[in-house]
Amino acid sequence: MTETENQAIEHPTIEDKLHPLQRLKQRIKTPIIDFLDADRSGKTDMLGKVFLLVPAFASTLIIVLIFGFLWYESVPILTDPVGGPGIIISPTWDPNRDLYGIAIFIVGSLLCTVIAIGIAVPVGIGGAVFLSEFCPMRLRQPIKMITEMMAAIPSIVYGLWAYIVMVPYIKNVLAPALQSNPLTAWMPWFQGDTNGLSLIAGGVILAIMLLPTVVTITTDALQTVPRSLREASLALGATQSETARKIVISAALPGVGAAVVLSLGRAVGETMAVLMVTGNSLQIPYTLFDPTYVMTSIITNQLGYAFVFPLWRSALFAVGLVLMVMSICFTLTAKMFIRWGMKTRGYI
Amino acid sequence: MSGRSDALIAYLLTVTQSRRHFTDFLFKTILAIVIVIIVSPFFLILIQVASIGFWQVFGNSPGQGIEFFTTFPGVGLEGGIRNAFVGTVELIVLASAVGIPLSVFGAVYITEYTEPGWGRSIVEFASDVMAGIPSIVFGAFGFAFLVDFLHLGIGIVAGGLTLAFMMIPTVLRTTQEALRAVPMSLREASLALGATKWSTTWNVTLRAAFPGLITGILLAIGRVMGETAPLIFTAGNSLSVPTELTGSGSWVASMPYTIWAYVSDPREYLQAKAHGTALALMIMVLTVDVVANIISRKVTRRLV
Repeated sequence: MTETENQAIEHPTIEDKLHPLQRLKQRIKTPIIDFLDADRSGKTDMLGKVFLLVPAFASTLIIVLIFGFLWYESVPILTDPVGGPGIIISPTWDPNRDLYGIAIFIVGSLLCTVIAIGIAVPVGIGGAVFLSEFCPMRLRQPIKMITEMMAAIPSIVYGLWAYIVMVPYIKNVLAPALQSNPLTAWMPWFQGDTNGLSLIAGGVILAIMLLPTVVTITTDALQTVPRSLREASLALGATQSETARKIVISAALPGVGAAVVLSLGRAVGETMAVLMVTGNSLQIPYTLFDPTYVMTSIITNQLGYAFVFPLWRSALFAVGLVLMVMSICFTLTAKMFIRWGMKTRGYI
Repeated sequence: MSGRSDALIAYLLTVTQSRRHFTDFLFKTILAIVIVIIVSPFFLILIQVASIGFWQVFGNSPGQGIEFFTTFPGVGLEGGIRNAFVGTVELIVLASAVGIPLSVFGAVYITEYTEPGWGRSIVEFASDVMAGIPSIVFGAFGFAFLVDFLHLGIGIVAGGLTLAFMMIPTVLRTTQEALRAVPMSLREASLALGATKWSTTWNVTLRAAFPGLITGILLAIGRVMGETAPLIFTAGNSLSVPTELTGSGSWVASMPYTIWAYVSDPREYLQAKAHGTALALMIMVLTVDVVANIISRKVTRRLV
């Protein structure tokens, strides 16, 4: 007992007297000696710690690699005289004439996203309020299950449905109805002939795909609102709908914000469904029935044969870089909303 | 019965008595309609896909039912989808074999072996960013890095690895949540009995977190099973199953890619096959998802 105590006291004093280089040697040698001295389970323990570091590092490395490779591949077009950073605002895409403006894709993506968010957010928040405040207990679980299943349906299946059902519907029913109805026929955004492959088809299918995300996250946010707030509002004589609209939603605002931003990110990055229904025509859409071209579609459609032309390929990777930067911004904003939400609940 | 209708009449009377109560009633009704609108696409899609694809998947005549999955497309794509079915299974197995250990071990390291600090935040932030990256960007990255830079070429390896990268954020974050939910007392009890950190982690902590871990893995598998965009430039397409690991023999078909190819094809009979494939894919994905949900519900109930 006294021996070990003495060692414990003397040990640091010996180390202090050592030369720095020797101390370094000591520091490297000690774990090795410890390792050799250890029994079998001790060895596994020490090796395991080092071995686990590799996957933790690797999963972080991949994001660096993704960013690095997108940057490395887009550098040629961003430094070349025919391209330059100006391609982001230049509207003409014609690789045969060395014109690599990607603005139309950015505009197309943003328009599709605006339509989708414009539909999905109000509808989704309404659905979430119903689900969390008014829904009968028996129905709540099945509806939640269905929205979770909707989030799991592959985007190609949504695309198939939109292409087979929605596009002909827009062509044969919706467009003629809106254009012949005197109430809506004069509106500039309903003009133009259409074959159904249009901006609105892309926006609506995106909205349908976003709804489960918005509903699920908003419902979770609404359900974390303390019960006492609702009770206080009801006790003051407010009706249930007034409580839901004015108290619960405003208390859950950070969560609702996070839902909106996360679905924004998903809308901009959605590929297959949008690709199949927007018509992929190189023009800026002026009406809802015009075809459009979004950022994800141009990569999907052209990377396959563009990879032998350095500038063309590089321009496509520049589109990918823009997509990636946008998605990082959305993630950061969503994290900010979540932090804000935790602050209002007093978790931080 | 009469009691219930009496109650309904009484309710309707109160509703019409004041403007505020009428607004309340109107608001609730509109929201009820909204929730019906939200869930209706699920049934519309299911009906559309099943009405055309049902007999492809469950029929008994030649080329239908089990034969749909066991024959190759053959000349004019008139056969089944064995190439796509086998391809999807192989891609998922490869992606899981790489992606799951990487993310589970990574999560174990940052949750069990590191202090909360910037090291942990970096890994968490990286996986959050990765979860938000569009799938086509993963595809472009897979093409630039795996196919081109590492000279793996288009094929099953590049496709599987790209899908593995996509699995990382989901599995990592759910594993982390599951590990965090394990009570500290379990770890302390094991350490107090003289177990090393390593054996505590493997025999106690991970075992307690196992259901949550499985949920995350199933969710990730369900997600990558339906991905098309990352596979277009990394896995290619093929009319047979891959026979080698590199070169043109390694090109592999997948069910989502097959749906896309068949739908955009003008030949009429391919539409039915596309719907059949979509139905089969939907059944697979939804089964995985429902199982994951059931497991996670069971776990939450046990913990609470």
